[in-house]
Amino acid sequence: MASYIAKRILVIPFLLFVFSILIFVLIQAPPGDFMTTYSAILAGSGSSLDAEQLDAMRVSYGLDQPLHIQYVRWIEKLLRGDMGLSLLYMLPNKQLIAERLGPTVALALFSFILSWLIAIPSGIYSATHKNSFGDYFFMVLNYIGVAIPNFFLALLLMWFFYVKFGWNLVGLFSPEFEAAPWSWAKFLDMLKHLWLPGIILALGGSARLTRVMRANLLDEMGKPYMVTGRAKGMSEWSLVMKYPVRLAINPLVSTIGNYIPQLFSGSLIVASVMNLQNIGPLLLQALSMQDMYLSGSILLVYCLLAILGTILSDLLLAWVDPRIRLE
Amino acid sequence: MTRRNLFLGIMLISILFLAVGSVSAIEYKEAPMLTEKVNSGELPPVAERLPEEPNIIEPLEEIGVYGGTLRRGITGPNDHNNYVRWMYDSLVRYAQDGNSTYPQLIKSLEPNEDYTVWTFNMLKGAKWSDGSPFTSADIMFWFEDYYTYPELTPAKLPWLYNDDGSIVEVTAPDEYTVVFTYKDPITTVPMEVAAMDNRDNLVPMFLPSAYLKQFHAKYTDVNQLNEMAKKESFENWKQLFENRQAPYRNPERPVMAAWMSVNTINDPIYNLVRNPYYVGVDPEGNQLPYIDNLSLVTYQSPDALNMAAIQGEIDMQDRHIIMQNYPVLMEESEKTGKYDVRLWPTFGGVDAALSINYYYDKDPEYMKLFQNHDFRVALSISIDREEIIESAFLGLGEARQPVPRSTSIYYPGDEYAFKYTEFDQAKANEMLDAMGLDKKDANGFRLMPDGSRVMIEIAYVPQFANWGDIAQMIAEDWRGVGIEGVVVENERTNHFAKRDSNELMTEIWNEDTTGFPFTGAPKFDPRTSPGICVATGARTWLNSGGKEGYEPNDDFKRIMEIIDLAKRVGPEEQQELGKELFRIWAEGCYEIGIAGLTPMVQGVGVVNSNLGNVPASDTLGNDWPLRTPGNGRTEQFYFKQ
Repeated sequence: MASYIAKRILVIPFLLFVFSILIFVLIQAPPGDFMTTYSAILAGSGSSLDAEQLDAMRVSYGLDQPLHIQYVRWIEKLLRGDMGLSLLYMLPNKQLIAERLGPTVALALFSFILSWLIAIPSGIYSATHKNSFGDYFFMVLNYIGVAIPNFFLALLLMWFFYVKFGWNLVGLFSPEFEAAPWSWAKFLDMLKHLWLPGIILALGGSARLTRVMRANLLDEMGKPYMVTGRAKGMSEWSLVMKYPVRLAINPLVSTIGNYIPQLFSGSLIVASVMNLQNIGPLLLQALSMQDMYLSGSILLVYCLLAILGTILSDLLLAWVDPRIRLE
Repeated sequence: MTRRNLFLGIMLISILFLAVGSVSAIEYKEAPMLTEKVNSGELPPVAERLPEEPNIIEPLEEIGVYGGTLRRGITGPNDHNNYVRWMYDSLVRYAQDGNSTYPQLIKSLEPNEDYTVWTFNMLKGAKWSDGSPFTSADIMFWFEDYYTYPELTPAKLPWLYNDDGSIVEVTAPDEYTVVFTYKDPITTVPMEVAAMDNRDNLVPMFLPSAYLKQFHAKYTDVNQLNEMAKKESFENWKQLFENRQAPYRNPERPVMAAWMSVNTINDPIYNLVRNPYYVGVDPEGNQLPYIDNLSLVTYQSPDALNMAAIQGEIDMQDRHIIMQNYPVLMEESEKTGKYDVRLWPTFGGVDAALSINYYYDKDPEYMKLFQNHDFRVALSISIDREEIIESAFLGLGEARQPVPRSTSIYYPGDEYAFKYTEFDQAKANEMLDAMGLDKKDANGFRLMPDGSRVMIEIAYVPQFANWGDIAQMIAEDWRGVGIEGVVVENERTNHFAKRDSNELMTEIWNEDTTGFPFTGAPKFDPRTSPGICVATGARTWLNSGGKEGYEPNDDFKRIMEIIDLAKRVGPEEQQELGKELFRIWAEGCYEIGIAGLTPMVQGVGVVNSNLGNVPASDTLGNDWPLRTPGNGRTEQFYFKQ
């Protein structure tokens, strides 16, 4: 087991190196650079930064250099543990990402757990009550969850809660806690705001998971060992929970790897709409402003999370499913 | 009616200040939150904090009361111009109507007789927000240690140079006087100085030298500075210096503005608190500002910001309010009474203009058409502007050409403002027939000499307004005169690139530079980049010394001549030149105006019903050089309870 983990971990730097090249090429692919976007934004609000001022800034921040030089500069800094400077914020990228990692992970974990809590019971119910009213009910709900873009759902629900109850659910904290240091009260305040984005994100994810769970379970339900179990007089409940559910969960576990980065990026637009201060809007801003070192660094962190997620799901799978061999 | 002009305005106001200043027996008063600090010994008394003769700021409606926190929305750190607009922290400011300038942080700015020497007279005893003196050394520090410091390379500011290319001579004869000496006359100095604040993240022309010297290599060890810079991911001390001088990124940096930073613009809520040393008082001697604190809340998207404004979570917002939300805002404002909605239409020009590329050379036949005045006029009068105004601008604004509004000193008269804006497709058809475009295909479209359809691309960027809808409506209107309009949506950066390489046939953009034709970067000046697609070919010609591109036509030449000349003549002549410029521009029909004076650009103001001294609808000049709403003098806004 230890050598298996070690092997997987040793590959990480190589993978990150490949990803870093890929990311850098991709984010540099759109025409223009930070300065062109920046000047266009300023032009849109009526101001008048001229070409000469832009060029001066370009030279100062090395944007006039060819692509490969810019890449080498970035990597050099990365190796020294410096993610570079965000031109948008004029702050070190490391600091920006670190500040927002907490709320991001909290939201991702919360909606992840929530989606499992919704998906597994409803999947079991749908499979055991196949073609019943309840099954169709969950099915319709799932289709809605998949079909409605989550940012749209966010807008609808925000408007609904404002009109019906006068609640203002924009943001991750109440104004009085926004700048306050972390405390128990601040944490509780965050939970008060976290539930709605958590549910919205969980709905999309759970829809898919429920379908997977239902299908897997249905595959198992007709197997001979089930018939044997029933014939021996096992109660339906303990029979289902003890055998097919355990098997049906395996494919779900293997999706964790894909699911973790998806949760981070899935919150991108929802977080922008709901004004949550997590990594999502930061990435969106960085990408649309072509603040390349910031977007590059965030994407690299995403890649790292995806790799770790995959390793984690492999390990979990090995743990829940003894049939899996590590060699 | 004789219109006020800039210089008369400056002089009148300077005299006013002198007159009021001599009656300085007023007892000065301060905000309660400052009295506490004075009592505890944290701050000196108000009379010692103010200059000997503070600037008197006349409130718009009434003397206000102290207190309150004003909430305003921003869209993140790249929205630093939101701070700039609110503070309007410059030595000289434009008045609320935009027709004159007045000294803001100084006593006066005066020219000599032939406009070659400009003297800044500063306020004796004025102080930065940390209590250090604000003197001529702070302007000299900008000029000597920043703008002309060999290692620092700021972009060139054209108004600081003589005709022969040499730089203006700047001297400080004493602590409170700075003198700019030019070789040639220049009359635009006050207007240029009004733009020398923190705009666009640039360095203003007055800096807290005592504080900033610790980040400057002339005064502090360069290795130590570079070391410090590296720690914060900067390449070198220059970047560190430019960063440390930005008040919205560094709360320690002393300011002259009415409020000073508590944290930074990168924080989810950017808080500011009153500057205890602010140089302005109201006529009763109350030190301004009235409002204690500002909370600039970051919204991750304009939608979230608009939502908050509709819910009444914002006290004063014009920037980022989407014009299309005007009906919803009106409805909610009537229902809840939490806020008023005010309209501050654009200062001049138009909010949608169709620019025609005079030097479009991908097809010589089209270039011939675009250079034909009758053709451009026919395109203009075949557009049904009223319909566009109804559906794209909610019925607000008027059909007009890109010239200043009628209250401007440069207004060329109604005859030109509305020239070629009548909807007359019969006449347009006649004109097109007469120029030889009289053959049509089976669908009724006119044919080029080679037998292909007359087809004109209308390019736009889906960024700033609903120009896509407008382009569609123009194309629809052109069908009526047998011209096929093809609407092309471009991504922003791509559009800019295409414009520079002369690939656009026509484009839709706004014309927001008519209020200030002789400063900044006017779009009708062919030399401006980024400008509009009208005369890119002429710019190439000018930049390449006549090797590439096309020689500017007589109109463009005269426009450039006017712009250069106006910078060196007195106010009377300057006005006349401005009018002539806009007569040429409207008559030429190069940039066809569609609709103007709408509140499209930051012109829908959501104002807390409790907020006083905020300009009424249509009384606030709304333009970037005026730093709207800064020209409404935010320091005299106040909460009624």
